[in-house]
Amino acid sequence: MKSSYAIAAVLLMTAAAQAQQASLTVTVRNHQFQPSTLAAPANTPITLRVKNLDATPMEFESVSLRVEKVVTGGGEGIIRLRPLAPGRYNFFDDFHQQTTGTLVVR
Amino acid sequence: MRIVTVVGASILAAPFFIAVARAQDAGANWRDVETKYIFGFTEGSGVGLEGEKEFSLDTVARMGKAGGRYWASETKAEFEVTPNQYVEIEFGPFLSAHRIKDVPDLDNRNQMAFGGLFGEIRYLLLERTQGQPLAVTLSAEPEWRRIDETSGRVVDNYELELKANADVELIPNRFYFAANLLYEPEATHDPDRIGIGWVKESKAGVSGALAYRVVPDVFIGAEVWYLRHYDGTWFNTFTGDATFVGPTLYVQLGPKMFMSAAWNVQVTGSDVEDPSARLNLSEFSHHRAKLKVAVEF
Repeated sequence: MKSSYAIAAVLLMTAAAQAQQASLTVTVRNHQFQPSTLAAPANTPITLRVKNLDATPMEFESVSLRVEKVVTGGGEGIIRLRPLAPGRYNFFDDFHQQTTGTLVVR
Repeated sequence: MRIVTVVGASILAAPFFIAVARAQDAGANWRDVETKYIFGFTEGSGVGLEGEKEFSLDTVARMGKAGGRYWASETKAEFEVTPNQYVEIEFGPFLSAHRIKDVPDLDNRNQMAFGGLFGEIRYLLLERTQGQPLAVTLSAEPEWRRIDETSGRVVDNYELELKANADVELIPNRFYFAANLLYEPEATHDPDRIGIGWVKESKAGVSGALAYRVVPDVFIGAEVWYLRHYDGTWFNTFTGDATFVGPTLYVQLGPKMFMSAAWNVQVTGSDVEDPSARLNLSEFSHHRAKLKVAVEF
């Protein structure tokens, strides 16, 4: 009986942790982020999916998010972000520096 | 000598003027900046970007002793990785060079040799956010040295540089202040080959630095360092101190390349063995300079 309670508790905790994960997707097309502004909850781990619809590679980069990832042309990349404090976090494509976007954390 | 100085100054100044011209062409873009290398010898809090790798050549030269001619330098071939958003790791070998002529208590020497190996781990303890401009990183850098830093003799030396690196964003993306706290114990096995075992010493230091971004790709600044030297690992016997001041320069040469430079001059110091001395030229040099060129990939 005790072990059933323990398993239930673990399952609940796992479900709660998954519920607290935020998932975002940003697309790159014609060297533009779409959308160019993303929103996410504060103090929550974030999984950011970057889909590159252009034929050429791009490099998602952000000093404030402290991440850098090359995404091949036509490919996609997954970036896991730490829980963030409220604020605006700018990002850009290091291979096409005019390609910029912002993550707004509230 | 004057021609060499002018050519050297021109080489150092060229990236600055290229960056100014490029900024004027492109219009200002005050993007977020990594602060680790913008303060000269003082280190900022940056730990790099997860997924980033960097290779750099980092030279620190020390010039000038109590007499004669003195030049000593170490050039690190440094490989740097950031495995996650809080930790940075660096490691590599370094080259040691010495040109010493008629310096009291040192043998004449003109040599270049493999100097040893180093590693460094940095951990971001406190991160900057929009409501909180302070960031703090702790770092530990063990080093094994086979060429003595000062004399150039073959030795067996182990050093651990422990630092707290803090910086504050005074004007967002434009103006920064940094401070470092340093504790550096080291041990050298029988440096004079007289059978006395390990000789231990330690250094403590504190620095303050300002860096201002004059154009998007260029920071200029100034720093001050106060250093104290002791015999013994735990500040056992004070032997002297020195204060250095000097300018700093950081130039983003391209999206994946930068250079950082600094020049420090000892402006005051004391030596327990020579109470009349106004500088400490036995444990420290009169000048020190740093030049780092890095490529990210």
